[in-house]
Amino acid sequence: MSAYLQLSDIQVSFNGFLALNQLNLEVNKGELRCLIGPNGAGKTTALDLICGKIKHSAGSVAFDGIMLDGLEDYEIARAGVGRKFQVPSVFRELTVSENLQVARAKHPGVFRNLRPGYRRADDEAVDRLAILVGLEDHLNMPASFLSHGQTQWLEIGMLVAQDAALILMDEPTAGMTSQETQKTADLFLRLKGRHTLIVVEHDMGFVKAIGDVISVMHLGRLLAQGSASEVESNPEVRKAYLGSGGITHA
Amino acid sequence: MPLHNSASSSASGRPSIELITILVVCAIIFAVPTLLNNDYLLNKLARYLVLGILAMSLSLSWGYAGILNLGQAMSFGLGSYAMAMTLKLKTVPVHTGPQGLPDFMVWNNVTSLPWFWQPFESHLFAICAGMLVPAAVAAALGWFMFRGRVTGVYVAIITLAAMVVLNLVIIDQQQYTGGFNGITDLAQLEYFGIAFDAYSRATYYLVSFCLTGALLLAYAFTQTKAGLIIQAIRDHESRVRYFGYDVGAYQIAAFALSAAIAGLAGMLYTIVMEFASPTFLGVQLSLSVVVWCAVGGRQSLLGALLGAILVAGVQGALSESAAFVETWTLVMGALFVLIVLFLPKGLAGLAGSLWTLLQWRRVDGISPVRQFHQTEGGHERLSSAE
Repeated sequence: MSAYLQLSDIQVSFNGFLALNQLNLEVNKGELRCLIGPNGAGKTTALDLICGKIKHSAGSVAFDGIMLDGLEDYEIARAGVGRKFQVPSVFRELTVSENLQVARAKHPGVFRNLRPGYRRADDEAVDRLAILVGLEDHLNMPASFLSHGQTQWLEIGMLVAQDAALILMDEPTAGMTSQETQKTADLFLRLKGRHTLIVVEHDMGFVKAIGDVISVMHLGRLLAQGSASEVESNPEVRKAYLGSGGITHA
Repeated sequence: MPLHNSASSSASGRPSIELITILVVCAIIFAVPTLLNNDYLLNKLARYLVLGILAMSLSLSWGYAGILNLGQAMSFGLGSYAMAMTLKLKTVPVHTGPQGLPDFMVWNNVTSLPWFWQPFESHLFAICAGMLVPAAVAAALGWFMFRGRVTGVYVAIITLAAMVVLNLVIIDQQQYTGGFNGITDLAQLEYFGIAFDAYSRATYYLVSFCLTGALLLAYAFTQTKAGLIIQAIRDHESRVRYFGYDVGAYQIAAFALSAAIAGLAGMLYTIVMEFASPTFLGVQLSLSVVVWCAVGGRQSLLGALLGAILVAGVQGALSESAAFVETWTLVMGALFVLIVLFLPKGLAGLAGSLWTLLQWRRVDGISPVRQFHQTEGGHERLSSAE
């Protein structure tokens, strides 16, 4: 019985530099997995690989019984993988409500979307999403007018709208106040179970608040895995973080 | 739920304001002949309206989908030749008599009508071909470009090059296309028992009718979810892919629709001008369309359309006036530079900002900037942005 998401012996090379080197990672269905590690450990690269932004030179990626190798990025998204980027990526010229409408991508085909009258059908769902991420007063504002924290929230809202089975979050709380971070943690705990989440995060307080199992990456491979206390007391992990102020300040 | 009360007055109200403006403009266009009893001027105006349809079609691909098609005149020229071919076959040639070969073929020693000319005996076929051929060519070109994820300036270069190639082929294949001279001495289009003389109200109304139809079709497209997705693609192409949309398919659809509308404009142009010429798919016209679009506002269908009518009209007036006969291209160039520098969204963008300003003033007498910051939860970030 293989895991829900399984990365086996992954190798990713950037002009000879091995960003991922024999990476093995397993995530179970409904789990909220935190991925941490010092700078350059390959965390973002691992997410890029899963969502199809980059290709690997060796190994395989299996998700829910489907091999993701060789699929186009948009096909991987259709298979149920959603991604939040480290630099918040929203449609800045579109309004908040239009952003959420684009993200509702249950039917991605061209001809289906040529039918008139979609806006009415989407309004209620968009309202609920906007309330969820606290942007209900900004529905008609172009996304470029939002603050950094609000933009982060909008992208998180877009991922909820996309309703992907596997959600990849790259530093979702960067630029948020502590209240906003707390709100994000609450939301993630609610998403857990119905969705499977992989969260890359530097804020250890946040990681401890949400994560059951924490995976630590270093130099492109998996270094350790376990609960927060197990990971923190692991001598290899301490060694990997040496010089960067320890795990809590990484 | 109170959320969409505000929406109905601004954002989702904006499309309906757009629709009302479109209908008002179309009504004005239809009303012109009742005030203007001059067939020469009506013909000239019809010509500008056709160029407006062409600019509107570019707005769809450039302004909405972010595809800068420098070869928009290729679709226009294809439509124009389709109409010219079918009208040419309706003329009675001097040398060969009824049902005979077109004159230029006789001069080039062609003995029988080429196979690809034969279906053009039917007007209906020609009218369909005038839109479907440009759309198919655009879809094929788009398939290569957008499947290969070609973007930005490379799209501009490829589309321009494709148009130049077709232009050269048409000039070179004189025996089938009339070459440099184009296709001249055309019959009048007759349909539904109406003869569309270029200098008549009938033709003006035909152009107005097609303009209204094309504008409403393009507007309806922008109001679908696909229309929203192509704007998202313009904004952040790769992000759209991670929601599962096949970006290439959407780009091809927008590109082909834009080409079909340009083909329609080309057909009308042949009716209005009474000939087809290789200059209809020339670089000069194609780049002019980009200028019209930019001046009018490429992100507004109506803006691009009115921009074309305005600029082409001023162009015509300047080039005919004694004072500017030498310098009118300089005047147009200066106007273009000024607009691009100071009004990146064109005249439509200017109109939109003024409208928003007026609306806010009327609502509660405070400026949009101040209101915006108040809705943000009292953040005191008031700047001198006003």
